[in-house]
Amino acid sequence: METSKDLPKFAVLQLSGCSGCEVSLLNSDEWINNFQLVYMPLVVTSNKIPDDVEVLLVTGGVRTDEDIHNLRKGRSRTKKLIAVGTCALSGGVAQFKGNHIARESFLKASHRLRLPDMLPNAYPIDRFVDVDLYLPGCPPTPQLFMTALKDPENAKIAAIVCQECGRQKLNDMRPTSITGPRSGVVLPDICLVNQGYICVGTSTRGGCGALCTRPGHACVGCRGPANPYLNKEPKFVLDNLRRVFARMTDIPAEEIDAVLESPWLSLFLGQFTDYTQEADLPLRTKEKML
Amino acid sequence: MTTITYPLSRIEGHARVVIDVYDNEVFRADFQAMEMRGFSHYVRGVPAEQITVIVPRICGVCSTAHQVASVKALEDVFGITPPPLASDIREVLLLGQLIQNQATSLFIFTMPDRTNASSLFELSQSEAGKAREFSLAQMALKIRKIGTDLITLAGGQFIHPIKTVIGGVSSGIKREKADQMILTIQELLPVATELVDIYWEMSMEMGDRIGSWGDDEPTHYLASTEANNYCLNSQRLRVMQPDGTEAPSFDPHDFEAYLQIAESEYSYAGVSSYMGQILRANSLARINLTESLGTPRADAYLRRFVQTFGKPAHAIMFFDLCRGIELVYALEKAQQMLEGDLEHGETEVGYAPKDGTGFGLVEAPRGPLIHRYEVENGLIKTADFVIPTVHNMLAIRRALTVAAKRYVGPEGINAELERAVGRVVRAFDPCIACATK
Ligand code: SF4
Ligand code: SF4
Repeated sequence: METSKDLPKFAVLQLSGCSGCEVSLLNSDEWINNFQLVYMPLVVTSNKIPDDVEVLLVTGGVRTDEDIHNLRKGRSRTKKLIAVGTCALSGGVAQFKGNHIARESFLKASHRLRLPDMLPNAYPIDRFVDVDLYLPGCPPTPQLFMTALKDPENAKIAAIVCQECGRQKLNDMRPTSITGPRSGVVLPDICLVNQGYICVGTSTRGGCGALCTRPGHACVGCRGPANPYLNKEPKFVLDNLRRVFARMTDIPAEEIDAVLESPWLSLFLGQFTDYTQEADLPLRTKEKML
Repeated sequence: MTTITYPLSRIEGHARVVIDVYDNEVFRADFQAMEMRGFSHYVRGVPAEQITVIVPRICGVCSTAHQVASVKALEDVFGITPPPLASDIREVLLLGQLIQNQATSLFIFTMPDRTNASSLFELSQSEAGKAREFSLAQMALKIRKIGTDLITLAGGQFIHPIKTVIGGVSSGIKREKADQMILTIQELLPVATELVDIYWEMSMEMGDRIGSWGDDEPTHYLASTEANNYCLNSQRLRVMQPDGTEAPSFDPHDFEAYLQIAESEYSYAGVSSYMGQILRANSLARINLTESLGTPRADAYLRRFVQTFGKPAHAIMFFDLCRGIELVYALEKAQQMLEGDLEHGETEVGYAPKDGTGFGLVEAPRGPLIHRYEVENGLIKTADFVIPTVHNMLAIRRALTVAAKRYVGPEGINAELERAVGRVVRAFDPCIACATK
């Protein structure tokens, strides 16, 4: 066996997140034989990122000044930087969107002696550094991590979750009310939308293997909107979903809207689009999106 | 006054240890959480029924425990009880979480400390590691993955589970899926016990080398497992007093009468105490409060532990050994439960949402976790998360002070202090994301 010293170096920089992305990466042991892990505070004791890193994965959103500093330092030491997970792509759960009660109570509570202060919001990392590849998912599956590390250029990613789902869309099964969002009996093999669930797989990029929908849970869209909705205002992906539900169901439009705009879906539906509302951010092209 | 700051690795989240030394004497040792997750703020105003999807994101390491606690808290608000089959499936889910967590803490976080390596991967590549017939790293990740697979099987998703729903679980576990899982456990259980034995041996050697197992002052212990039933989907909190006797147990609704939780000026994590006293939660607390785990291999390890170190045992490095006992237990118990029928029967009961206040308790890997929600007009008005790591904060501080005193003296500061600081903190396996909820 070749010793790990000859292998390309890879590093993981964790900003403010939940460690779920790291936990997912550790669910694959394939990389052990392909890469030398030189920095990842969760599993390796080493105080700094060496300056000849091949690939740096960044997880978590930007929450403190220290995050900005570490991110810039990391960028300068790697050939390639990959943004991993919803938090790195959008700030994640920690963005407040329109929830002013939450923002105020958070900011009031977030000062301590001798510790870094929290920034007024959680930010996506490409607000501060160039990103070579985006790997969305909350968290991305171990397989997606391996694809990102090994051969992202030639990866074939399903355009939408439905392509990997295997459930059939029926013309003659039109629900009139919402079944879920998350309970009720699920019939096998039939599209969840036909069964009255608010599944957003029709507009969500694939690649996860339809992890949730195959066993019968509506997709919440954690992989983010599919390519046609990249760099577009949230309205476009929402309109597409509205059209899907109008075509496939007789559920009143207001009921669909209420669910689509609820916090748990908007967290993911907005992950590529919220940031387009800030003028001078770089465009995220589909070539850079895994 | 000299202030020494140690950044920490191989723990969940961003934290550091700060030690103030004055005239070659330790003045203060502190453990500081450097970031704030702030979920108790984010969830304000969120529709109550959606909170179960949001709170697993408090922490990707403990997501399962948060999800189950969250669902139980809403069931308490709505006044419903899930059917027994659902409770069993939730137990399998929590066992998966325990396996994943204890394997991570044992092998990825703390095994490298035993040989002063920087990571499991380095240890695995070293002479000591290569002398073995298998790659320590790959085997450790395989054992850890059984936990992940159980979470996927019983929880529907591999990190942020979705199958536990208000009123029960959304589906049972199919026989053939259960059988596959049983085969994997059967095949890997001997590997797990071998790893635990290696770990045990390395720990004994480390104890001899250092000449101490760390802070061993008798303390209060808090757990929600029972003396003869290690059920993680738990109901009541139990406390062992420093002399080994048990104090009256209490219901999660009454936690405020027993546990005092306060903010800290120097850390984004709070601190809690038991009626004003230092307390400890996590593996050692559970093992001290246990008579029998009820599975053969784990009980054999338990007997060996009690014979060697006594009961209650107090030194902090025992937390690590107890995680080994629990890893074996969780594998055996998961297999036992999967052998039963988890496919047929009622999986959930219906409910009508209503307003009110509810509490949800589970025994998370780090100790008892409570979610408390106040629901008004269907929305979360206030949410409180009572986090196991917070229960250990005073104990971590005291153990750090003990270690610092050992390595700071008239000759100055011994370089071993840095390693000692890492070992102390990792013994408690703190989770910063959760602790700064
Ligand atoms: S809408 Fe959802 S359930 Fe239906 S085919 Fe697409 S991913 Fe599958
Ligand atoms: S099915 Fe949807 S929610 Fe589930 S992992 Fe895939 S993209 Fe994420």
